[in-house]
Amino acid sequence: MLAPLAGVVLAALGESGADIPTRDLVRYATTTAVLAGLVGLVTGVIGAAAAWLVVMHRFPGRDLFAWGLALPLAMPAFAVAYGYADLLDVAGPLRVGLREWTGYDLPFEIRTTGGAAFVLSAAFYPYVYLAMRAALLNLPGSALDAATMLGRRGLCAFFTVALPLTRPALGAGVALAVMETLADYGAVRFLSVQTLTTGVVRAWSVYGSTVDAARLALPLLAAAALLLWVERAGRTGRIHESGKSSWRSQQATALRGLPAAAACGFCLLLITAGLLAPAGWLVAQLPLADPDWTRLWRAAGNTVGLSAAGAVVTVGLATLLALGGRTLPMATRLASLGYATPGAVMAIGLLAPASLVWALSAGPGAGLALGLLILAYASRLMAAALEPIDAGLARVNPALPQAARNLGRGEAGTALSVSLPLARGSLLTAGLIVLVDIMKELPATLILRPFNFDTLAVLSSNYALDERLGQAGLPSLMILALSAPAVVWLTLRIESPAQELSR
Amino acid sequence: MRRVLEVRRATRRFGTRTVVAAAKLSLIEGRVACLLGPSGCGKSTLLKMIAGLESLDEGEIRINGAIAASASRALPPEARGVGLVFQDNALFPHLNVRDNVAFGLARQPRPQRLARVNRLLEQFHIQGLADAWPHSLSGGEQQRVAIARALARVPALLLLDEPFSGLDEGLRETVRDALLEDLRRLGATVLVVTHDPEEAMAIADDLILMSAGRILQTGSPEDCYRRPVNLIAARLLGELVVIPGAARGGHVETPLGPLPAPGLRAGPVQVGLRPGAILLGGSGPEALVRAVRFAGDGYRLQLQIDDLVLTVTDRQAPPAPGDRVRVGCDPSQVVLFSPGGQAAISARLP
Repeated sequence: MLAPLAGVVLAALGESGADIPTRDLVRYATTTAVLAGLVGLVTGVIGAAAAWLVVMHRFPGRDLFAWGLALPLAMPAFAVAYGYADLLDVAGPLRVGLREWTGYDLPFEIRTTGGAAFVLSAAFYPYVYLAMRAALLNLPGSALDAATMLGRRGLCAFFTVALPLTRPALGAGVALAVMETLADYGAVRFLSVQTLTTGVVRAWSVYGSTVDAARLALPLLAAAALLLWVERAGRTGRIHESGKSSWRSQQATALRGLPAAAACGFCLLLITAGLLAPAGWLVAQLPLADPDWTRLWRAAGNTVGLSAAGAVVTVGLATLLALGGRTLPMATRLASLGYATPGAVMAIGLLAPASLVWALSAGPGAGLALGLLILAYASRLMAAALEPIDAGLARVNPALPQAARNLGRGEAGTALSVSLPLARGSLLTAGLIVLVDIMKELPATLILRPFNFDTLAVLSSNYALDERLGQAGLPSLMILALSAPAVVWLTLRIESPAQELSR
Repeated sequence: MRRVLEVRRATRRFGTRTVVAAAKLSLIEGRVACLLGPSGCGKSTLLKMIAGLESLDEGEIRINGAIAASASRALPPEARGVGLVFQDNALFPHLNVRDNVAFGLARQPRPQRLARVNRLLEQFHIQGLADAWPHSLSGGEQQRVAIARALARVPALLLLDEPFSGLDEGLRETVRDALLEDLRRLGATVLVVTHDPEEAMAIADDLILMSAGRILQTGSPEDCYRRPVNLIAARLLGELVVIPGAARGGHVETPLGPLPAPGLRAGPVQVGLRPGAILLGGSGPEALVRAVRFAGDGYRLQLQIDDLVLTVTDRQAPPAPGDRVRVGCDPSQVVLFSPGGQAAISARLP
C-alpha cells in the first residue's frame, strides 16, 4: 500500500528530464484549485438541497428521485464531458439552432475552467447527495420534532437544526467530490483544461519523465492528505456513530402546487444534468457511429474482468486488514490516504518499482502489468472498501466469534464460518463500490495497462481524443449500463443497513 | 470427588484496576456450582479466563489436572474442552438450530455428527426445532439450543453466564428447574454465574461467593447462608439488618433483648438479623408501632425501639400505628460479626 506513495516522493527527488517551467506548474495548480473550489461549492449546495428535498418532503416522483439522484455515479465523468462538449459546442447543432432561431448565443463556453466545473459538478454531486441523505435519514427524529414544536419549520429548521447536525456528513461528501475532481483526468483532458493531474499524465506520456510527473503529483498528494483530514475530522462527530441510531421515518412534509412542481423540477434538472442530457446526447449520436464490435466486446470483457479481479483483490486485502488491523489504526489511516490519492499519482508511484520488476523479468510481462494495475486499484480503493467492511464487522455481536472459538474453531476458522458470513452484505457493498470505481477509472489504467490492452474507459478516451465522439459514446454507455445496477443497489441499501443481520 | 477444574491465585488486571484478585476455586465432577456476586465483581471475567477468552496475569487454571492457562502460556479457547453458554446465548443467526448445534462437530464424519446432534436435540426436548432459525425461538428455547451446542463436544465442564436473567419472571423458575434436571441427568459438571442469591441457592450444590474481584467463601448454600465468613458474604445471600450489640458473660446484649452466646469474649459486636429474626409477641422489650403497610403476603410494620427503627413482616392481623408491642428474637436467624464486620465471630448461635 505504501509502495506507490513512497514511490512518488522518491521519484520527485530525481533528476529532472523535461523542462516544465515553474510558470506552468503554478498555472496547473491555480486551475486545479479554482476547479476544486467551484466543484466543492456547487456540489455542496445542490447535493445538500437535493437530499433535504427528498428525505424531508413528499412530492410527485420522490421515491424515484431518491435513488435516481445517485445514478450519475454510474456515469464516468469523462462521458459527461463528451456529451456536453458536443452538445454545447459553439458549432454544435443546439447552439447553431438557437442562434438561427433567436439571434442570441448562450454566453457560455464549455471548454473552460467554468465549463469543467459545471461538468464535474454534474458528475460528482451524488457524493454529497448520498452522504447527506444517509445523515438526514439517521437524524434523531426527536431533534426535528422538537424544532417544529418550538416553532421552527421548513427551511428554518434545516438551517438551524438539520444542517448543524449533518455538517460532518456535508464536509465528508464535499471532500469526496473534491478528491474526485483532483483525480479526474478524462473529463478535464477532453475539455482542454490543464490541471495537475493532466500535467502528471502529460509529463509521463509526452516527456516520458517520471521525475516531473512525480513533482506535479506532490502538491496533489498534499491536497489529498488535507482533504482526508477534513473528511476524518468530520467523521468523528458523525451522528450515527453515537451507538445505536434510533432510526425512524421522518415526518415528511407534503408539498403541493408550485413548491411541489419546483422540487420535482429541481431533482429532474439534476438527474438531467448529470445523466439524462449527456447520456441522451451520446445515445443520439450512436447511429452516426460505426462500432468496431470485436474491439468493443474485448474491451468490455477486459473491463469486467479487471474490475472483478480488482474488486476481489481489494475486498480480500481490506478484509484481512479489517480482521487483523483492529490493533493497527495507523494502517487504516494510511489506507485512507491511498483513497484520496489520484489514480495518476498512484500509477506514477508504482512505475518505479514496476520498471525494476520489468527489467528483471523476461517475456512480455503483460500479466505483471495487470498485476501492478490491480495493485494500484487496490491501493487507491482500499479505504473505500475498508470502511463498509469495518462497519459490518463491528455490527457483529462480539459474543458470536467468541462462541465459535469456544466451540473449537481457530481464529481463521472463526472468521470464515462466523464473522465473514455475518458481514457478507458489507463485503458485497465494498465489492460493488470498488467495482464501479474501477470501471470508470482512467488515468492509472492508461499509464499502467499492458500494450494493446483496452478497457471501455480507455477505448472511450482514445476515440474521444481522436474527435470520434460517436464512437466514444458506445463504450461510455456500456460502462453506464454495467455499473448502474450496482449504484441503484448501493443506494437502496443505505436505507436498510440494519436488516443485514436478520434473516 | 474428582476435581475437574482448579483455579489457583488467578489474577487479572485491566490497567491499574485488579478485576480478579488471586481467585481460588475448584469444581467437582458431576456437581453444579454457582458463582454468586454483584454486577461488576469480576465473575464474568473469571468465567472468560476459565474459557480462555481472557488471559491471566498471575496464577494458573487446571482442567482435569492439566494446566490450561498460566501467566506465561495458555491453551487457546478451542483446545480447552470447556463449554461456554453466553448471557445472550450467542446463537449464530446465519445457521439454523441443527447447524448451530453441529457447529462444534465439524471434524466428525457426517453420520456420527447427525446422530450426535439428534441425540442432543432430543435430550433437551428441542427436536421439533431442528430446522428453525434462532430469531424465531423463545428465550428458553434459544437457551436450550445454546446449551446443547456447548455440550456437543462433550466438554469437561459447562460454564453458564447469567443463564436465566434474560427469561420472563414468570417462566424463569420452571425453565431453570427443567434445565437443571436435564443437566444433572447427563452428569455434567456445571459452573453457573449469577447475581441472584435466591437462584444461586436454588440450583447450587456448591456455592462460591465473590465480591470486588475476590472469592470470599465456598461451601454448601446452607453453610454459606448460616455461617457467612463476613458481613459482605452474608449480605450477598440476602437481606440483612445489622444492629449493635455487646457481648458479656455468655450473652450478647441487643436492643431486642439478650441472645445466648456461650464462650464469646466480652466486647462490642455487630448483630446481623435475617428477615425472620424479629418475632412479634415475644418476651423481649417493648416497641412502638410507627407505621403499618399491607404487603400482599402479610403486613410490613415499622417498629421503633429506643432510637432504633426496624422493619418487620408479619402475617397476623396488625396492631394499629401508635400501639406498643413486645418483640423477640429467633437466634437461629442471627449472625454475629466483629465490630468492623470483617469476620463472623461465633458461628451460629445455638
